This record gives sequence, structure tokens and C-alpha cells, in this order.
Amino acid sequence: MQEFLQHTLNGLSTGSIYALVALGYTMVYGILQMINFAHSEIYMLGAFAVYYVARFFGLNTPSTLNFIIGLLSAIVACGLVGFAVERFAYKPLRKTDKLNVLITAIGVSILFQFGGQIIFGADPKSFPDLIENTELFNFLEIPFNVVDLLIYGVTFASLIALTYLVNYTQRGRAMRAVSTKPDAAKLMGINNDSIISFTFVVGSVLAGIGAFLVATKYPKIDPMMGARIGMGAFVAAVFGGIGNLPGAVLGGYLLGLGECYLIGYGASTFREALSFFILILILLVKPNGLLGKTAKEKI
Amino acid sequence: MSLKSKIIFLVCFVGLGIALNFFLNSYIQALAISFMINSIMAMSLNFITGVANQFSLGSAGFVAVGAYTSAVLTKEVFNDQWYFIPLTALIGACVAAFAGYLVSLPSFKLKGDYLAIVTLGFAEIVRVIFLNWNHVGGPRGYNAIVKWPNFTMAYLFTGAAVLITLYVLYSLKISWFGRNLWALNEDEIAAEVMGTPIAKNKRTAFLISSFFGGLAGGFYAHNMGYISPGSFGFLLSVQVLIITVLGGLGSISGSIIASIILTVLPELLRSLPTKVDVRMIVFPILLILMMIVRPEGLFGKKEIWTFFKKEGRS
Repeated sequence: MQEFLQHTLNGLSTGSIYALVALGYTMVYGILQMINFAHSEIYMLGAFAVYYVARFFGLNTPSTLNFIIGLLSAIVACGLVGFAVERFAYKPLRKTDKLNVLITAIGVSILFQFGGQIIFGADPKSFPDLIENTELFNFLEIPFNVVDLLIYGVTFASLIALTYLVNYTQRGRAMRAVSTKPDAAKLMGINNDSIISFTFVVGSVLAGIGAFLVATKYPKIDPMMGARIGMGAFVAAVFGGIGNLPGAVLGGYLLGLGECYLIGYGASTFREALSFFILILILLVKPNGLLGKTAKEKI
Repeated sequence: MSLKSKIIFLVCFVGLGIALNFFLNSYIQALAISFMINSIMAMSLNFITGVANQFSLGSAGFVAVGAYTSAVLTKEVFNDQWYFIPLTALIGACVAAFAGYLVSLPSFKLKGDYLAIVTLGFAEIVRVIFLNWNHVGGPRGYNAIVKWPNFTMAYLFTGAAVLITLYVLYSLKISWFGRNLWALNEDEIAAEVMGTPIAKNKRTAFLISSFFGGLAGGFYAHNMGYISPGSFGFLLSVQVLIITVLGGLGSISGSIIASIILTVLPELLRSLPTKVDVRMIVFPILLILMMIVRPEGLFGKKEIWTFFKKEGRS
């Protein structure tokens, strides 16, 4: 029982991380109907931005101020990179086939992975310790740490904030308009380009926050860290129904739990295949994911 | 093509192989073979993605199935005799075609991004299965696979495979079946309304494409002499995709030209002082620039020989 609880807790923690990154995937998919393969690399760049900012200012002690500086640098760096990627790689392709955008996204992703290996070096770096990971309380002899609770909190806060943003604000209404009918949205006085840029920046900022929290929990960062988590997060987004915000979180948790049980009860070498196996099964039964809407195709 | 020109072509093809055996150094010979294998992979992907418009990110999976099947067969059934390689590569291709059929089963329900993810997932599952299969070496890989005895043999058989792939896929492209696939490519709903059996066509296209993917895998295994699950990761699928896109989605012969370029280019850049594989920097930059400047690739949907035909005779 103790062991089961521990696996569940690990699963929830992994799942939260998947969910945070999956939210970014789903945001971009919701508005452009494209899989932003570069999202996981933006996540990786966020962790490195914090690493270099901390090294530049010599921040290496846990304190609230350092934590805030680290978080802000991740947010700013990821926001800028997300904006730049959208502006220079995806915007010129707005009018072309969706396939071309997907191919470009794969290109950007690989470029960042291997460019990162050249610029940062392929060896793992140790992430600065910016917050004290103390044990807050004990439940059935299972420790709850600050960082874990922070990850849960941030995941739910972002889910609520994003749902509010998309459903109840003027900007969110514009986002939904651009997503359903870009041409009509333009006629209604919406600046499509700025809405799309905004969505990208929001998604990238989420990736940055996720990267900062994950790097604080597992303080080893390397240029391939995005690729490792990206596939899982992406599967989580599709699993829950891509384009659907609660779906991404649900998918993230289910996948995280599944992986941790699999690792906990043997068969850890099949971990990478599990997510895809579940995904294929789900897509066979519900082609649009768990919570995705079945859109009728109009002729 | 008349019988005479066919014979001349065949003589030139064989003669070139014997001549190259003496005139080229082994480095360039290895490049030539790897170019041929790349072009089979690219043509196979081009058939499913370019002609039938079913976006696949799983070419590495089919290649892996073909490579492992062929490698295991030569070692355990055919006693490491090199002249059985074409046979085992064919069997590997058939097994890969069966795998392709399995993948195609859900494909009538899924399209676009979702299909891409299912094929990507298939490739990952194949990789993880080989990773956990101790009989074929698991993560250590499968080594001491029998290789071609000399360059001429490697050249002749791999070259023949390239020509056969080109011929078969091009004939299919301009056939009745290929027209059905074009219709599917242009507008799926309209094609269905016109009465083309969409699900069956997609399935057949998958079957054919994965057959040639597996064939490329067989030749890959016997060219390298060593295969490991790591060689068949997502990056291989991406490399094949880049070659296909550069040549032009829908242009079978374009894939061959593109694979010459993308096999030679990274070798020229090898002298650059980096620890990382330079290919993985050059390829994506090329890919992004091409998508912006010339998204239809070098040849678009046309074949090379249409450029040489005289105007008005098309």
C-alpha cells in the first residue's frame, strides 16, 4: 500500500510536468491546428536561460528573491524565443499547406536540439539551487516536498488561468474566433497575427515555467531534456484531445500515473513504448482523444 | 524503351559497377552505397506521403523491421552466405509490408497530424521491442551480419533495387491506382464521392510503401554489418522525410536527386570542427529555408525526365 501510494505520488508529479508542457502544445494547436514540435525545445531553452542568468549574477543560494529572478528569466527567455520562432519560421507559412508547417516545426526542433549541443555542450549541467526543497509535511510516511507542491499548484493555476483567458476575456474570444474562422475573424477587426503571436508567447511561457520547476526538482539539464519530455507531453495532449485545455491536464496525469506504475512494477524498459501504445489504442476508439470534440467535416 | 537501349543500359550499368570498383576509393564507394539505400527509403516514403498524402513519420520503423528480419535470417537460416542477401532482403520487405498493413488498419479513421503521430508511435514501439529483445542483441545491437563480398556486388544488387523501386513506384504513380491516390491527395471527400475506395487505397499504399522501406532496411543491414535499435530512432525518420521533401513530395525521381545532395553535402561539411553530427545542423536549416522559399521541393510533383521532354509533346 505504501509502495502503491509512493508510485501514485510520483505519477502525479510526473503527470503535472507532462500536463504543464502539454498545455502549451494544446494552446498552439487550438489556434493554428499545428503540432508545435519546437515546444519541447523552447522548454529546454528555458532551463538553460535560468542556468546562464544564475551563473552570470552568481545566484546559487536558495532564497525567495533568487527564485523569482530565476522564474522571471525563464519566462522572459521562453517568451522571446517563442515569439521569434513564430515570427521567423511559422509566419511565412501561414497561407501554405499544414504539412509544410509541421515539417518546419520538426526542423526547428532538431535545429535547437543539435544547436544546443554545439553551443551549450552535450554534457549535463547542474542546475543552480534557487529554492530550498524542504519536506513540508508527512502523510502516511510519504514526504511532501515544497517543489512537488509547487508543481501541482502551478499546473492547476495555469489550467484555471488559461481556461479563464480563453473563455471569459475579450482576447480569448478573439483567439477562439481566429481558431474557428481566420478569414472571418479578420473582417471583424481582429489582428490575426498579433493574436497568434500572443498565443505562442503564452504557450512558450508555460513551457518556461515548467522547465524551471522541473530543473529545480531534477537539477541536471542538457540539450536533449526537451526531447525526452516533449514526446510524452505531446502524447498527453493528443490523449486528452488536442486543443482541449482540461484534456491536456487529464492526459498528462493519466500518462504520468501509467508510466510510474509501469516503472514501479518492473518493465521500466518499455516505458517509452507505453505512451504510444496507449495512444494508438485510444485513437482507435476515440479518434479525437478523450475530451476532444468530434468535428463534422463540411464540404 | 526499346530492347536495344535496354541492353545498352544493362551493359553500362554492369560495366560501371566493375569500373568503379577499380577507380574509386573505398570511402566514395561506401558513400555511393549509402546514397542508394537512402534513395530507396526516400522513394518509399514519397509514395505514401507525396503521392497518397498520408503523412508518415514512421519510416524508421519499417526500415528496422526489414533490417532485423534480413539480418537474423541470413545468420540463422542461410548460414551467412552472401548470395542469399537479396532473398532475405525480400523476405524482410514482406514482413515490413505486413507491419505496414497493421499500421494502416487505423489509418482510415485518422488523418493529418493524428496519423503522423500513430506512425511515429509505431516506429517507437518497434524500436523499444528490439531494445528489449535479447535474442537479437537488445540494446547492444546485432553484429557480425554478413556483408557483400566486394563493391561490385553491393553496387549491382543495391543499384538494381533502386532501379526496381523507381520503376515500380513510378509505374504505380501513373497507373489507375495511382490516379486514385492523386484524387485522394487533392480532395478526400470528392474522391470518396466519385466512388474510389478510400480505405482500401490507403491500405494498399501503406503496404507498398512499407514493403520498399523494409527492402531498404535489408540492404542497410548488410551494408553496415551492424544494426542496433539506436540507428532506427526518430532522427532516421526525419532524415528520410527531409530527403523526400527536398526532392519534392510526389516526385519519385526527385527523391533520388535529393538523396545524392543530402548524402554528399554532410560529407563535405565533415571537416568542420564540431563534436556534434553536422548533418543535424545543416538538414534542419535547409528544411526550414526550403519550406519558406520553395515549399514544393526541387521538382514539385514532376519527374526529372519531364524537364527534358520537348515543349508541346507532354
